[in-house]
Amino acid sequence: MALKESEAIVLRTYPLREADLLVTLFTRLEGKVRGVARSAKKSRRRFGGALEPLTYVKASYEDRERQELTRLDSCEVLESPLATQVSYPRAVALAHVAELLDELLPDREANDAVFRLALSVLAGLRGTEVWMPVTYFELWITRLMGYLPDLSECITCGRVLNGNRAFFHALADGLMCLDDKRLASSEISAESRTLAAQMFRAPVESFAGAPWPKALGADLRKFLIQTLQRHIEKKLVTAGMLEKISS
Amino acid sequence: MSKFAEPMTRLIDELKKLPGIGSKTAQRLAFHILRSTDDDAEALAAAVRDVKASLRLCSICNNITDVDPCVYCSSPTRNQRLVCVVEEPTNIAAIERTKHFNGSYHVLHGSISPLHGVGPEQLRIANLMRRVEGGEVDEVIIATNPTVEGEATAVYLSEHIRRPGLKVTRIAMGIPVGSDIEYADEITMLKAMEGRREL
Ligand SMILES: [Zn+2]
Ligand SMILES: [Zn+2]
Repeated sequence: MALKESEAIVLRTYPLREADLLVTLFTRLEGKVRGVARSAKKSRRRFGGALEPLTYVKASYEDRERQELTRLDSCEVLESPLATQVSYPRAVALAHVAELLDELLPDREANDAVFRLALSVLAGLRGTEVWMPVTYFELWITRLMGYLPDLSECITCGRVLNGNRAFFHALADGLMCLDDKRLASSEISAESRTLAAQMFRAPVESFAGAPWPKALGADLRKFLIQTLQRHIEKKLVTAGMLEKISS
Repeated sequence: MSKFAEPMTRLIDELKKLPGIGSKTAQRLAFHILRSTDDDAEALAAAVRDVKASLRLCSICNNITDVDPCVYCSSPTRNQRLVCVVEEPTNIAAIERTKHFNGSYHVLHGSISPLHGVGPEQLRIANLMRRVEGGEVDEVIIATNPTVEGEATAVYLSEHIRRPGLKVTRIAMGIPVGSDIEYADEITMLKAMEGRREL
């Protein structure tokens, strides 16, 4: 079969047998693709640093007859997360992006909007800023996967929430007004809802530079993670890790 | 129904848990053990038992040892004020092979790995912090792997042990000896440039 070539983002690798690596790639050409990188574990010569998670690469791979796993022929680094310092918060944020892409994307289904989002957020994660790109990514990926409810009205009574208090619950599919909120709901501030609206109108770069403490948009992120976890029906490991970061 | 007698199936199942051992190899090993003499089989069982019973972690550096402190920490000829931090006990052998490092070690038993839920609180660094805080160390060389996880671990460590009078260094990353610059990937080349030294 013919060799395919595509831009890709490395999501995860797992050791396979003695010397090989199982690699999950998010390719621009056909979405999430799983493949085997022969001898990648033992000899780094062929792949070098290209298989580190969240490396943006140009990948060549070859599908094999009646085999689910593709054969990864080569990977050329276009941009590596190792090019700038990997602080602990940055490492967790990068892992979070990788985990979300890996969990949310179906196999072999191209999604150029998500690919462009991932690239722009990775660029946003080059520096020391973590919470802004993470918030932006969680918001947009929830929307692009089709899981984001209308943030402007109550799911129970349909009342317009703009200018009013709004609440969310791990088992509810959208926001609720004060009258309809369930027991043990959390509140999402008007400020965070405005933030979400702004993020839908502007690229990630336009939010860079301004200080962004962890508290800013924390309620929005909690709502998004609950929404995503309800759809994938499992807990996201990195969401808990992000939660524990102190600043 | 299993095709082997129960004790055989059990042995095969246990062997299959070892890294790199699949069903076929496990069966071959199990039959080899079955055919071996009673003494050989007993010696193997005893060795497995003893490795767990007699080996522990060095209280100073976390290396795997049968005496505490370990040979590196108790050696009078090694520089105990120079500490090389590695991810795994097996990394020590790689450094020892150079025959040019005469300091001591600290083994983390892993690295920060957010995708696996491993944060800095799971790293074994309490005894390293004690050595550093007690003023017992002049230099810490961080020799974690040149990966995202190894880097995150190195950066975290350096931020937490940094104090006046303590030198914290990171091993160089770059072009493998005997290879060709032409074949180095972009990130390896970048790291090699960053880690350049004056001649
Ligand atoms: Zn309502
Ligand atoms: Zn020791």
